[in-house]
Amino acid sequence: MLSDKEKERYSRQVLIPGWNQEKLKQANVLVVGLGGLGSASALYLAAAGIGRLHLCDGDRVELSDLNRQMLYSESSLGLLKVEEASRRIGALNPSVAIVRHNAYLDSRNAAEIIAGCQVIVDGLDSLEPRFILNQESVLRGIPYVYGAVQGWQGYAGFFHPPQTACLACLLRPGAFKPDRVPVWGVTPGAIGLIQAGEVVKWTLGQNPSLQGRLLIYDGASLSFEIISVEKDPACPVCSRA
Amino acid sequence: MVIYLKAGGELRSKLQPDVDHFTRRVETEAGKPLSDILIGIGISPAFVAFAFKDGQLKRLDYTPSEGDIITLQPPVSGG
Ligand SMILES: [Zn+2]
Repeated sequence: MLSDKEKERYSRQVLIPGWNQEKLKQANVLVVGLGGLGSASALYLAAAGIGRLHLCDGDRVELSDLNRQMLYSESSLGLLKVEEASRRIGALNPSVAIVRHNAYLDSRNAAEIIAGCQVIVDGLDSLEPRFILNQESVLRGIPYVYGAVQGWQGYAGFFHPPQTACLACLLRPGAFKPDRVPVWGVTPGAIGLIQAGEVVKWTLGQNPSLQGRLLIYDGASLSFEIISVEKDPACPVCSRA
Repeated sequence: MVIYLKAGGELRSKLQPDVDHFTRRVETEAGKPLSDILIGIGISPAFVAFAFKDGQLKRLDYTPSEGDIITLQPPVSGG
C-alpha cells in the first residue's frame, strides 16, 4: 500500500500506461558493482521506487572515480562505496530499503548475496565476476541485466535462460583487457540507465526490450545497434542447466 | 572469395579499413573460420569479443560466405 507521500512522489510516473507502483515497491533488485554503471542504475531505480535495493561492492571511493560515479562526491573519498551509496540513496528516497554487502562478489559469497533477489543488475568492471553472476543467474532462473563499458562504447543485454541465451553464449573467457580501462561518465551513465529501464519493465511484468538481445552503443558516432543473441548449443553454462 | 569486415569502437584502428572509414575488403579461402581469417590479417582473436552479421550474433568459429559483411566488436569490460 502506497503512503500519501509515495503517491505524491510517484504521481508523474504512475500516469504512464501499464505502470504499477505497487509492483516496484514489492521488488528486490540486486546491483553488483557500484562504479559508473551501478551509480546510474542504483540512483534511478531508487528514484523510481524499487522497494528493496541490494547493493554489493567491496571498494572504497577514489578521486579517479569521480568523473563517472555519480553516487559519490569529494567528501566520499576513502569511504566504503556501499556505505556512501546507501547514504546517497537514502537521502534521495528514504522509502527504499537498502541491503548492504560490503564485499567483492566471488564464487564463495555469490549465493548468499543473490538470495532473495528477483533480478540482478551488472555494474561490474571485469569479466570473471560477470561469469559468476551469469552462472548463478542460470542456476536460479533469475534474470541478469548485463552492462559493460569502455571508452565511448557500451554493451547491454537481458539474459534469462532458458527463455534466452546467457552471457556465456555471447562471450568466452580470455579476451584482451587493458590494465586500466579507459572510460568517461556518459558511457556508463547511458548504459546504466538502459539497464535500469530493463529492470523496471521486467518488474512491471512487461517484456524487456533486450531480452535475448544485445545493445551495442557507440557514443563516438552516437549509434545504437541491437543484435539477436541466439542460445549456443555448446554453451558451457546454459546448455547444461 | 571476398568478404567485408567492419569494426566497432577501439577495434577500428586495428582493422585498417580500406573501403571506407569502417570497412576492410578481405580476400580469403572459402571454408575458413572467422578466427583464422582474423589471424591471417594480423588481428589476434583476443581483440575480438564477438561479431555480427545482418543483426545476428556470429561467434569466431563462424565460416563466412562470399560477400558477407561482418562487424567485429572489441572486448568491453569496464563498469
Ligand atoms: Zn549460455
